[in-house]
Amino acid sequence: MLSRTALLLIAAFLVAGCAHSDREISIAPLAPAADRVDPGLGPGTRALSSGPGYKGSPSWSPGGDRIAFTIDGYVVDKPAGSGDLRRWTTRDFVAEDTEWISDDTLTMLDAAQRSSSGAEEISSSVYRARAGEGSMELEEVAKGVLAMSPGREGLMVVLANGAYESGLVLTRGSGEVYRLYTHPIQGRVTALSPSPDGNEVVLAVRHQGDIETSDLHVFDLRKGKGREIARLDSNPEILGTPQWTKQGIYFVAGKEPPAEGGGSEPLYDLYRVSPDGGAPESAPGVGEDFVAASIRVSPDGRRLAIIGRLNPKAPANLYVLDLLAKSLKSVTTNEDMEIKTGPDDLAWSPGGKSVVIVARGTPSTEPEVRAEPADRILRDFYNLYEVPVGGSMQ
Amino acid sequence: MREIVFWISGTALAFFITAGAFLFLANLANAPSDKSLTPDPSPRESGPDLTLSLDEDRLASLRPLPSQGLDLVVKNEYSKQLSDVNVTLDVSSENTALPDSRFYRQTVEKLPPGGTATVHFVFDLSALEQPVARPPAAVPEPSRKILEVRATTPSGVSAVRTAILPP
Repeated sequence: MLSRTALLLIAAFLVAGCAHSDREISIAPLAPAADRVDPGLGPGTRALSSGPGYKGSPSWSPGGDRIAFTIDGYVVDKPAGSGDLRRWTTRDFVAEDTEWISDDTLTMLDAAQRSSSGAEEISSSVYRARAGEGSMELEEVAKGVLAMSPGREGLMVVLANGAYESGLVLTRGSGEVYRLYTHPIQGRVTALSPSPDGNEVVLAVRHQGDIETSDLHVFDLRKGKGREIARLDSNPEILGTPQWTKQGIYFVAGKEPPAEGGGSEPLYDLYRVSPDGGAPESAPGVGEDFVAASIRVSPDGRRLAIIGRLNPKAPANLYVLDLLAKSLKSVTTNEDMEIKTGPDDLAWSPGGKSVVIVARGTPSTEPEVRAEPADRILRDFYNLYEVPVGGSMQ
Repeated sequence: MREIVFWISGTALAFFITAGAFLFLANLANAPSDKSLTPDPSPRESGPDLTLSLDEDRLASLRPLPSQGLDLVVKNEYSKQLSDVNVTLDVSSENTALPDSRFYRQTVEKLPPGGTATVHFVFDLSALEQPVARPPAAVPEPSRKILEVRATTPSGVSAVRTAILPP
């Protein structure tokens, strides 16, 4: 009797122990429409926008909780998670670039207008706006601006000094100019970016003449002096903004002069040059056939995000170049999406774990019908995608 | 022999009672604090009760001109009659900087179960006016037209279709 009771007890405990628990399992909420992502941009990719509009120039706020971008020229931002768009400018404003100066202040470079004859390009202005001011009025910070970039203490702005000369100005977050460099830069600056320590800047400079040439200059912000480090006589154009990394200065420039008559699209290569000067070399690690379009250095200065093609016929994809290891990693394996290749159409998150790109499906020449409202459609319009790239490869 | 069985049974019983007590205490401490989440119900944009279809051949023949016509077919998949089905057509541009869209509305008074109604819209598909000249940097390619069609009943049954027309 006793042994039977003991056996029953043992069996009861075993059954109770193995029985399925009543504990409820949490079910993740369904992803909203804007989080559904088309295949080809990699696992973990999420959409940051949806709906119509020609989007571009993504820029993360310093804290990484909001992202600003342009839609059909005007400027908006939204929370990095779900949330509504917040408009910063009226719809008639056309911004070429946007940069955060603090978590509640944006600066915008308006698109350069052309003179009435269409021949001469009139330079742009930089405007500043603060979140929560209730109106979309912009404060003009500087006129006659050729290029701008965030710096260590505020915004760095290059002003046009006549047709063939440029000058560098440093401003604080409030827009106040606190240093105006008198040392002129010969030529028209098209882009600038700071060195990793923030004490110098690299400038892409264009010279107008019978034959247009491009230079790279380095400008020492402490000494107030600049110097040319590379002249690209045979390469017609520097595309976008040179990036100063811990392994040198990287830039995209014409691989070869465009074919006469403009029959073929010009090809661009990724180059590297030492900040001390010297002949630019093809960037190690990307391959001979690689065609680069736009580049951004990671916040830690060790990696370079590149939108480019493995060869001229390959689809555009996002790559990350480990600058020390000289190894190129394909982040997206896109075959049928159009990834925008504009110089400002990619942005690292402040933590360096993801890159935002702008992409859409290849537009159809026939009408397309979708079973969702226009403002939730992703694939048919250029939208922002956050693509995880992992941490540092070091 | 009985003593041996007694001691073995007693030891096993004591072991299981102690283990059970520990298990009970452990479960008390780890009571599930997370709530069971129910999936977010997505807005009922396209339920099975009401379907909308657009004539895709006709869509391909639309021109960017005034007085374009398009038939929409609304079908009641519900088991009961639907009344006052509002059918709207919103004509807009892919270029969101253009301020206005054009809005059209018609009503289907009664739609029996399994029944269909054809709604004919005549609408203006000519270019929306650009209030001020904008540099081409803003939108460097021709914009497509967007036709967003919705059918909605007062009880909240709805369907939506969006057509994107190439420039």
